Amino acid sequence: MAEPAAQTAFAEEALTHLDTLYRGALRLTHDPDQAQDLVQEAYLRALRYQHSYQAGTNMKAWLFAIMRNLFWDRFKGSRKEDVSLDDTGDFVLYEKLRDEGARPESDVLDKIAASEVVAAVDKLPPLHREVVLLVDVEGFSYKDAADTLGVPIGTVMSRLHRARQQLQKSLYDYAVESGIVHAGGQQQVSQQ
Amino acid sequence: MRCEECADKLDRFVDRELTNTEALEVQLHLEGCPDCMDHYEFQEELKRVVKHSCECDTAPAAFREKLREILG
Repeated sequence: MAEPAAQTAFAEEALTHLDTLYRGALRLTHDPDQAQDLVQEAYLRALRYQHSYQAGTNMKAWLFAIMRNLFWDRFKGSRKEDVSLDDTGDFVLYEKLRDEGARPESDVLDKIAASEVVAAVDKLPPLHREVVLLVDVEGFSYKDAADTLGVPIGTVMSRLHRARQQLQKSLYDYAVESGIVHAGGQQQVSQQ
Repeated sequence: MRCEECADKLDRFVDRELTNTEALEVQLHLEGCPDCMDHYEFQEELKRVVKHSCECDTAPAAFREKLREILG
């Protein structure tokens, strides 16, 4: 066990990454109580194994790895096989809309509420969702994401690409349902 | 650079994962290709929207205090 002062310093540094861990746990579990349980267990485990953390390396990535491994062990029964993403083919929201003379980013993305974007992220299969969380939300490099997830960088890149395609499909479906665009990629009609 | 090559590198360009030389090549292509520039701007905005939307969730203050006591 580390000296009390060292343990306190370790805990203080670890807690600076709490929001990242909590967000990640919340997106993985979809449940605030389960997310808190998961994060608390991750911190306790981190404290127990702090000797294995190399000072000066990426503590956020190390903590996230502990948390997501606990998630897969506890909530998914150690089964890491993923639900495969639907084959979206060449479908992307951008390509659906670009020939309509509109600017997809300003005319569509700006009209979609944050809660709908989060819902689209939540619909991703977990192995794809966690890559989006690490790279897009938390700003991890591909290498740090690969180290955190224990996969090659190429896997990070392919999961990220598929996840972004799926996100665009979900957001397009929402945009059609909510009247932001007409089905078939017709001209945007909303004037919000 | 052809549009296909630009599209192939767009994820890595948006994620700042290309080498300086590769990024410069993509940048030069984008500046001369409105279609690819639009696609790039869309991908950049999608990434920003996802980050902004998901960052709204932060750990509850009471939970932070509880952890501080447990770990302290």
